[in-house]
Amino acid sequence: MFQLKWLWLNMKGSRAAYLTALVLSVVCNALHVASPFFQSKIIDTFVSNENAVENLRTQRSLLWWLLGGMIGFTLLRTVLQYSCNMYYEKASQGMIYRIRTFLFRKIETQDMRFYDRYRTGDLMTRLAGDLDMVRHMVSWVIKSCVESLSLFLASVIYFFIIDYATALCLLAMTPVIFFVTRLFSKKIGPAHRKVRESTAAMNTAAQENISGNRVVKAFAREDFEKEKFRRSDEEYRTSNIGAAMVWLKYHPLIEIAAGALSVVLLLCGGIFIINRHLTLGQYFAVSGLLWAVSNPMRNLGNLVNDWFRFMASASKIIEVYYEEPEITDPEEPVEKPGRLSGNIEFRGVSYSVEGKPILKNVSFGIKAGETVVIMGPTGSGKTSLVNLIPRFADCSAGEVTVDGTDVRRFRLGDLRKNISMATQEVLLFSDTIDSNIAFGNSGLSEDEVKHFARLADADEFIGKLPQGYETVIGERGVGLSGGQKQRISLARALAVRPSVLILDDTTSAVDMETENHIHSALTEGLDFPCTKIIIAQRISTSRNADKIIILENGRITAVGTHEELKRREGYYRQIYELQSGINAPAESEVRA
Amino acid sequence: MARNKFDIDEELESPFDLSHLKRSFVYIKKYKGKMIAAFFVSVLAAVTGLTAPLITKHALDVTVPAGDIPGLIFLAGLLLLSIVTSSVLGNIRGRLLTKAGQDIIFDIREDLFAHLQKLPFSYYDSRPHGKILIRVINYVNSVSDILSGGIINFIMEILNMIFILVFMLIVDVRLTLVAISGLPIFFGVLFFIKKRQRASWQQVSNKSSNMNAYLQENISGARITQVFCREEENAEIFDKLNREYRRAWMRAVKYSNLVWPATDNISVCIRAAMFAAGLLVLGPEAVSLGTLAAMTGYAARFWQPIMNLTNVINSFINNIAYLERIFETLDEPVTVADRKGASDLGEITGQVSFNDVTFAYEEGQNVIEHISFDVKAGESVALVGPTGAGKSTIVSLISRFYELEHGSITVDGTDISDVTLRSLRSQMGIMLQDSFIFSGTVMDNIRYGRLDAADEDVIRAAKAVCADGFISSMEKGYSTEVNERGSKLSSGEKQLISFARTLLSDPKILVLDEATSSIDARTEALLQKGISELLKGRTSFIIAHRLSTIRGCDRIMYIDGHSIVESGTHEELMAKRGAYYKLYTSQSA
Repeated sequence: MFQLKWLWLNMKGSRAAYLTALVLSVVCNALHVASPFFQSKIIDTFVSNENAVENLRTQRSLLWWLLGGMIGFTLLRTVLQYSCNMYYEKASQGMIYRIRTFLFRKIETQDMRFYDRYRTGDLMTRLAGDLDMVRHMVSWVIKSCVESLSLFLASVIYFFIIDYATALCLLAMTPVIFFVTRLFSKKIGPAHRKVRESTAAMNTAAQENISGNRVVKAFAREDFEKEKFRRSDEEYRTSNIGAAMVWLKYHPLIEIAAGALSVVLLLCGGIFIINRHLTLGQYFAVSGLLWAVSNPMRNLGNLVNDWFRFMASASKIIEVYYEEPEITDPEEPVEKPGRLSGNIEFRGVSYSVEGKPILKNVSFGIKAGETVVIMGPTGSGKTSLVNLIPRFADCSAGEVTVDGTDVRRFRLGDLRKNISMATQEVLLFSDTIDSNIAFGNSGLSEDEVKHFARLADADEFIGKLPQGYETVIGERGVGLSGGQKQRISLARALAVRPSVLILDDTTSAVDMETENHIHSALTEGLDFPCTKIIIAQRISTSRNADKIIILENGRITAVGTHEELKRREGYYRQIYELQSGINAPAESEVRA
Repeated sequence: MARNKFDIDEELESPFDLSHLKRSFVYIKKYKGKMIAAFFVSVLAAVTGLTAPLITKHALDVTVPAGDIPGLIFLAGLLLLSIVTSSVLGNIRGRLLTKAGQDIIFDIREDLFAHLQKLPFSYYDSRPHGKILIRVINYVNSVSDILSGGIINFIMEILNMIFILVFMLIVDVRLTLVAISGLPIFFGVLFFIKKRQRASWQQVSNKSSNMNAYLQENISGARITQVFCREEENAEIFDKLNREYRRAWMRAVKYSNLVWPATDNISVCIRAAMFAAGLLVLGPEAVSLGTLAAMTGYAARFWQPIMNLTNVINSFINNIAYLERIFETLDEPVTVADRKGASDLGEITGQVSFNDVTFAYEEGQNVIEHISFDVKAGESVALVGPTGAGKSTIVSLISRFYELEHGSITVDGTDISDVTLRSLRSQMGIMLQDSFIFSGTVMDNIRYGRLDAADEDVIRAAKAVCADGFISSMEKGYSTEVNERGSKLSSGEKQLISFARTLLSDPKILVLDEATSSIDARTEALLQKGISELLKGRTSFIIAHRLSTIRGCDRIMYIDGHSIVESGTHEELMAKRGAYYKLYTSQSA
């Protein structure tokens, strides 16, 4: 069973605790079997004995001893049981702690392909509910298995010692139980997988509703959302009841088979007694311990049930656990390059997603310190193009080099440390503004944070907030206007003092004046050398660029400066005319 | 209210009281029938269970010594019958309770989700979304057992206890008193543990909520983490949260696991005390040995339900922390709600008036002050001004996303706080700065705007906003599966989809908040040509920074410093040579 091997693998560091716990639980069970001893001895000697009154007078100290033993034994047993339980908790917590940490790192380092495949709600299900099922397996199911098995074997051996014939009669019931359990196990697996799926679906439905709460309200779609959620909730309920019903269908059979042990004992034992094959004392010895055989049998169904729940969950976790990103460090990376100077070259670069070509044979070069603006229609591949530089995607043909080295030959960390990006969709974290700006460089002093905020023209509005830089902003920066978020994201990108700064439409939501301020800050205000690649829609951004690259439908259709391109027929000129003020042509004159 | 972040525990405002449990009876009541049936079945099963020892006793005392094999077979058959009966009864109980339990959490979840739909933006804005999610899913799941089987077990065990207590009292009052004398000690110990146990389980729920919040944000923001090479640091933060959770858990089980051994030890002491009292103190003269034998038998049976009860109570305590969180969320005030007797707005023409409106997100921090203006039906209004001036705020007030501090807003002369939110918002089309994409097909995402729209309508809307081109070029076209942070769509494309969605809703009042910021200038120009037709007959509010977008509007309002600085047509404002003129010339210079 791979799943079990995987558990053992992840129990590293807690293995000793776990084995101790397993041994202790066998010991505790043995003690549990022995625990009625003192009480029955007292009853035998001082209560039900013919000479009880006599014994009470003569053996008073024995009574004290027995009473003391009764209490002392229980104390010992419970202390052991307690430490045993704590060992289980320690081991299982240690294990899921390990798995969780590992999964977090795993998820963090995944590439786009992974995120296209797994939705947030889905990943959350794996890390919460599924992981809890794994915990349950380790801290409960395996424990019960070991306990049941040891109890069962010990009592069966004991029964054989007392009388093999009676023991054999009792054992005749076991095949029945195994048969029923087997039937059950075939049905329950699919049922639990269904429960798992419906849980993930419900999680996703709720998660998207929460993240998209603004859209829901904007369209007054509360009822629709309730209906949608209701369906997944309904599905969840149905699948849960379904799994429970499979269990309940077989459960009485198992229950009856286990209960039938006492019928078998009564019948066979009774006949044996009548035939003088068995004494009454032997009969009581067996019947007193019958629970030690029937309980494990009863438990078997439970364990099978939990086993399949575990299997459904564990395979979901394992799937992510062994998910490997396609974009990884090379086997023989370039040695620590230090700070790159920021020369970038694209040579014959093509890039496609799921067979759909996005970039086709793109070549251009950018010298260190240059400012390059990339323009083009929506969906022309601008973002994909810049994503190739920090290797958020790898090109399918050609190569991208930074300082003359193929980006695929750097360690990811070394490469990305030199490149900073303000992405199109601003993603801020629910944390203080200060921590958000210092995200890439947490060692930043307060003054430095302010400095970068000032460069991004964010200092002023942050200063106006009641708690200033200590203001906690909501998830995804809600509560701030689009322009404000963009400016914080820009400050965050600047704060790492990158060699290459990529701005993917970062100033689309800020007003002109702010934009001008930002661009002059970028040209004159930086205290570090930096190549700037800016995706933009506005002529005001591209006007002063060293180079403008026009990307249309995955190809470069023009390269040049503002002065050059505005004179040339084409996309840039159209945009220029559209945006350049008073004598612009009416919109109707725009050609597609 | 201060915003919560991943590493801040949420303080639970209400202290523990039984009202949480009492309140959950509202949910249980609905399944009264099933619960009561389950209860009676349980009683019946218990009674049936009692027959088994009687049968065995009779067989061994009478039938076997007599060597009566047919009699033995008969009794064995009877025993089998009793076993079959009690397992069938147990099974019925299981079926009833499973359904009841699932139904109860279904209802709770429905209510919770419905309530979340009513909660204002500020609720979502002030805490990590992971903390909301975990309540809806995990916490609700956790309470299913205690609210169904848990309660039945609780009652059963109490009945059991009373039953045995009565028997004991009948047999011997003195020894019964000895047996009961353990109870105060027991409750004392229990109280000591419970107090800590509850606090520590609350801590567990806090820590797991923190961990989940951080996890969710990091899944959504994995890209940013990679951009800034923060993997290591974030892993350390997560590691810390993970450790804290483990510590909280270990602390909680330290107390939880204590309950059982404590009960066990007290129980054994009581039994020892009964022997001592019966044999040594009272002596055989006062207590007959038969009585003593019976009493010690009962004493063991008396403690059994108590021990079971502590187990039941244990799981109550462990899970009540979750129940508290659920009710806390249900009690979250709905600040923007339909007023009592709110009427339907009816079909509107789209006339909007602001009358002396003042608004603040947080008290004392007015975002806009004393704003008044009238917009005629069908008029298009552009809002311009520096970022953070309050443009988005003004438009979001029309949809009544927030309550005003002062003043009123009317649509077609009706105060928007007097009508139902649904009738108001369903006639408005708002395109927000963040375009959210639901996981599903492109078709479904656009259709979100009008649920009963035919495929052709969806495609028409997509064509109107120039989205048809890129959608059709995708392999599966409109059936392409997309999700909220997938790589299949660029930001501009997401905006176009969200634009089509808004248009499809056929609103009387259209609000475009930076709707085209990520769309390139040429597509935008085409777009405007396409939608100018669609804008006819609709009132529209447009927030944009590109003046090419704004110029054609009937009126332009320049917002700055909490109020409207200038208002008029493009020509009027240009002639005025004020703030707008400055803005306009800076862009075209």
